[in-house]
Amino acid sequence: MNFATGDALYIAPILILALAGLLLVLAEAFYTGKDRTALAGLAVAGGVAAAVASIALYRHMDPGTHRYLYGEMLVADRTGYALSALLSVVIALAALVAPAHMRAHDWAIGEYFGILLLAGTGMLMLAHASHLATVFLGVETMSIGVYVMTALRRRSRRGNEAAMKYFLMGAFATGFLLYGMALVYGATGTTSLVAVRERLASGNLALLTVGTFMMVAAFAFKVAAVPFHMWAPDAYEGAPTPVTAFMAAAVKVAAVAAMIRVFGQFLGGEKLPYGTLGWASPMVVLAAITITVGNIAAIRQDNVKRMLAYSSISHGGVLLVGLCAMGLGSPSGQSALVYYLIAYALTTMGAFAVVSYVGSKQNERLGIDDWAGLASKHPAAALAMTVCLLSLGGMPPTGGFFAKWYVFKSAMDAQDQQLLWVTIIGVVNSAVSIFYYLKLVTAMYFKDATGEFTPSRSAGLTFTMALCAVVVLAMGLFPTTWLGFGG
Amino acid sequence: MNPTGGFVLPVILALPLLGALFVMLTPRGEGTIARGVGLVVSTATFVMSLLVLRYFDGKAAGYQLTTDAVWVKSLGIHMKLGVDGISLWLVLLTTFLTPLTLLAATKSIEKHVREFVAAFLVLETGMLGAFVSLDLFVFYVFWEVMLIPMYLMIGIWGGQRRLYASIKFVLYTMVGSLLMLVAIFYLYVQHGQVTGIYTTELTHITATGQTLGLAHLVLPHDAQVWCFAAFALAFAIKIPLFPLHTWLPDAHVEAPTPGSVILAGVLLKLGIYGFIRLAMPLFPHGAAVLAPYISILAVIGIVYGAVVAFAQDDVKKLVAYSSVSHLGFCALGLFSLTVSGIEGSIYAMLSHGLTTGGLFLGIGMLYERRHTRRLAEYGGIWKQMPVFSGLYLIIVMGSAGLPGLSGFVGEFLSLFGTFNAADTFPSNWPHYLPSPRLLAAIATTGVILGAIYLLFMFQKVFFGPLDKGKNGHLPDVSIREKAVLLPLVVLIFVLGFFPRPFLAKMEPSVKAFIADYHKKLAEPDGPARIMSAEGSPTAIKAKLEGAAAKLDAAAARMGGNAGGQP
Repeated sequence: MNFATGDALYIAPILILALAGLLLVLAEAFYTGKDRTALAGLAVAGGVAAAVASIALYRHMDPGTHRYLYGEMLVADRTGYALSALLSVVIALAALVAPAHMRAHDWAIGEYFGILLLAGTGMLMLAHASHLATVFLGVETMSIGVYVMTALRRRSRRGNEAAMKYFLMGAFATGFLLYGMALVYGATGTTSLVAVRERLASGNLALLTVGTFMMVAAFAFKVAAVPFHMWAPDAYEGAPTPVTAFMAAAVKVAAVAAMIRVFGQFLGGEKLPYGTLGWASPMVVLAAITITVGNIAAIRQDNVKRMLAYSSISHGGVLLVGLCAMGLGSPSGQSALVYYLIAYALTTMGAFAVVSYVGSKQNERLGIDDWAGLASKHPAAALAMTVCLLSLGGMPPTGGFFAKWYVFKSAMDAQDQQLLWVTIIGVVNSAVSIFYYLKLVTAMYFKDATGEFTPSRSAGLTFTMALCAVVVLAMGLFPTTWLGFGG
Repeated sequence: MNPTGGFVLPVILALPLLGALFVMLTPRGEGTIARGVGLVVSTATFVMSLLVLRYFDGKAAGYQLTTDAVWVKSLGIHMKLGVDGISLWLVLLTTFLTPLTLLAATKSIEKHVREFVAAFLVLETGMLGAFVSLDLFVFYVFWEVMLIPMYLMIGIWGGQRRLYASIKFVLYTMVGSLLMLVAIFYLYVQHGQVTGIYTTELTHITATGQTLGLAHLVLPHDAQVWCFAAFALAFAIKIPLFPLHTWLPDAHVEAPTPGSVILAGVLLKLGIYGFIRLAMPLFPHGAAVLAPYISILAVIGIVYGAVVAFAQDDVKKLVAYSSVSHLGFCALGLFSLTVSGIEGSIYAMLSHGLTTGGLFLGIGMLYERRHTRRLAEYGGIWKQMPVFSGLYLIIVMGSAGLPGLSGFVGEFLSLFGTFNAADTFPSNWPHYLPSPRLLAAIATTGVILGAIYLLFMFQKVFFGPLDKGKNGHLPDVSIREKAVLLPLVVLIFVLGFFPRPFLAKMEPSVKAFIADYHKKLAEPDGPARIMSAEGSPTAIKAKLEGAAAKLDAAAARMGGNAGGQP
């Protein structure tokens, strides 16, 4: 391994986040002021700087080209930087929405910001990973950070339970991931994904198949695909809302980014290189089950955060459909996934920002009935939430609609019978999802308020809600620009 | 391509949308201002839409006043708009009904007026967009965009059970349209794979002058049946065809008067329009296979709707079921695939838009005075409100299909076309199903039943003794209400007495529709392909082979004869 200094430029976003994260940890330790939320500024600056660096590098790279860094450890290409930029923005927004929630619910813990950025470092690494070692490193850096963030409210029993569940199941998934990697290494004799791709045809088929299946299971845990989803609703409900937003948006983006690399780019191709036992067959089944179970479970929820958790599970299923399409050689699979991730992450961020806004110290307002009459008291927040919910439900003219259209189009493009069926299942499920999203819209617009709302106001929160709603609409009305990011 | 007038359609789409934005900027709680803005904007839209008539060449088939702007280049999505003889009158119906309805909504909408006007204008854009879009994707977007304002309208300004009705309305429509979305995907991807060009346009002219587009793609027969079924479900729910109609009475009863008017007046027509514009031209084989069944469902709907309407005590429910019955005529006429049947179908839609719109507006006016919709609560209203009663009588008669009024022409033509359909559908009408003639005969009873329940309703409300105390002091229609009802009544007369100018503008487009349909239907089964202007090579080959076989047979017969008499 040669450490070319020229390569450092290409990992500038990762370095920025890591440095800012370390700086925040130090600052937290030496900070003497009372209000720990002041650290948010530095975290936001770090996120924005990483986003700016990602965008600059995105523009620096020529379309369709890539460059391996540090001897095939990482890969720099436009897709990677588009996802880095997205992740950095989500990190900045997660830092931006936190102070209001911290103040309202008494958990002003400075470590939040440091861990946020360090977990983000792992996520960015996943977006650029081209080596099993960096994949593992990225997954663990991200996950350990998020476990801690889930448990940040030490006195909350729900929070502790959620973190424990998340951590135990996560550890289990890590085992699967490592074992799968070991088997792939056994079959091909290398841990560089670039080399693995070259040796697929000559590798031991049984080892490869079992190895990739195990990795599918591990990632299925990370994107909360059924039946590996059990942790998600509890973790989403138990974690403080800004953390939930970060988990729902960024963790899913990072996990899917890693899957795009591992499965889509290196283990996929025109037709899967090692016969019919490719990873796509189990993943199609996972996708169909995930979409359906996630949606049906969401119908029954009367807690907004749990409902959004199940909705995010079903969105994970749609992302798996896109991955299968990509793996089976659909030419538009990758750009469809990137577009979907952008739309999904910003929509989710916006929705949770509104959830965070609506709650107050006395009443966190997490029940759907608690939102009754929001539209007449706080029309702007209700409107932002409605835009986000419609986007999650895939209604035009929002980004969510185009995202679904694009992913399912790429699935049909792969000309695979299984994918046709999973497309039908996915599209029909949209109707189911509209039902529960509209439950919240119905509460906000059609019912009368039961009491006064005392929202947790802050400029950061308002900015996040407005930004997400506007971008989600812009993605639906002017999709051309956004479609290009996938390369 | 008609360069003059291309600006009209984008303008009438943009006006209501900009108006909606502008209305949201008016001060909160100032209902009068919001209403005023809404009226001005929708009237301006109507005036602009009259320009469509000015630029429209009534003798030409095909799309006119077209505009084309690329929306999403990488997906081949074009903001392509245009009208032909089929959509022309539906566009005008929409722009005509909107200001009238807003004018009528002064009393029935009292809370959140600003939001109501905005939702209403967005709805107008959605409906107009669906009528004029020539790109399947854009059509779908407008089709879905309509849902949300209508959902809000029922949910916020609706009656007692509005939550139930609004969700039912959305779910029914969504389930149907999502299956349509899958069929759209399929069509789109097939086109992309056959031609290498991904486009959602119905007709796409390439740089080299080649005619491509979804409308020119011929799918394998079984795929056509599946895709047609998926489209048909979406449109049948919207029409609504029996047995998918159950959302309609709920939606109508709970919706506020303006919502009901637009729902019955325009939204339901989009179902029929979808069949004409998309489902049938795109999948003619599927249409041919399923037409008999849809016709039968239409006839069941005609009779069932009429019988159930008769049993209602709630006036709004009565009119809702009458819509099920009337839209049945439209569906029946359309699937007869005769010129008169299809023209009748479109004409019946126009008439139904005016008369049922009028019926709901009138019910709204009565409701504002008496706050009940139960037939049993009324009686003797004529003595109190003679002007209103007279106007309402004309609307009722128009709806019942009295000759000389608008309803008669459409229903007569639909039935006439269906009766003659036996000549155009000789081969694929299954023998075990009732013949088109029998269907037309059964459907005719729907006209009689329609007259019965409507006159029965009129009698109960307006005649009889004035014995309910609350009916004693009802003011007659105000000037504003006259301004709402009179234009409708005048048009009901005009459509009844002078159908010719209206039909003449439809005719070239309807004939072209039928000719295209049959040309594409003649394509033999086979893998997906693009149909050329004179039919695909395989179709020509099949035709030639058929002719050759005939020659061979003739030669064999002659040869046989020759051999027989040596």
